Amino acid sequence: MKYEQASHLQYSVLKLTGEVDLHNSPQVRKQLLAILNAGHSVLVDFAALSYIDSSGIATLVEAFNLAKNKALSLTIIEATGAPLQVLELTNLNKVFPMLASLDDVKE
Amino acid sequence: MKLVLTHEYTSCTTQLCKIREKVRITCAQMGFKEADINLITLVIDEACSNIIRYAYCGDKSGRIILEIFQAETEAIFHLQDFAKCITASCLEVKEKKLTEPGGLGLKMMHQVMDSVTLLPPTSAIGNILELKKRLPEGL
Repeated sequence: MKYEQASHLQYSVLKLTGEVDLHNSPQVRKQLLAILNAGHSVLVDFAALSYIDSSGIATLVEAFNLAKNKALSLTIIEATGAPLQVLELTNLNKVFPMLASLDDVKE
Repeated sequence: MKLVLTHEYTSCTTQLCKIREKVRITCAQMGFKEADINLITLVIDEACSNIIRYAYCGDKSGRIILEIFQAETEAIFHLQDFAKCITASCLEVKEKKLTEPGGLGLKMMHQVMDSVTLLPPTSAIGNILELKKRLPEGL
């Protein structure tokens, strides 16, 4: 798993590449919480993500709850394939704001 | 019932990607479609993660044996560990809010597989988790 951080409009973008599992989800958690604790809303880019397990999903839930408490947002971008299946299986596709691409993000 | 795959891993999180790869390849060989392969791979990974986290409590030197069998109508997955014996109540899903932490992996196991059972222990230590999934129609 690799991640890259960038900016898009007023948002921080965390682009995840590869597979997020129990081995590396703590790294994702650290990055997401740091972005939110710095006061930025976050777009989590799933375009290059091929797999995410429940530890990755739990990280997203924790970050989503933190964002809400801080009046910030966490939006998932371009979830497809296996990661989208996991979100659908857990019904979290109805909880997280989700957009088809970064082009759909409004200021 | 035919043994299709048997492989032993250590209880280290670095092994999870190797386990997923074996499961994906074996499920494809058994005729599962991509969407089912993704979900079966997910729940086997979740079961192994639970063994690493809760059975071995993060000890990386534990043993996990994965066996995959093909029966007439179903694929059968056995995951054996050599940690303290657990009871079937550990496999029960507790109802939680979507945004509440914990128990997600176990819930997904029950949603995806046709059965999730703890087999009777064969020795004083260890557990064998059995997960069954019906094979695709027309095989």
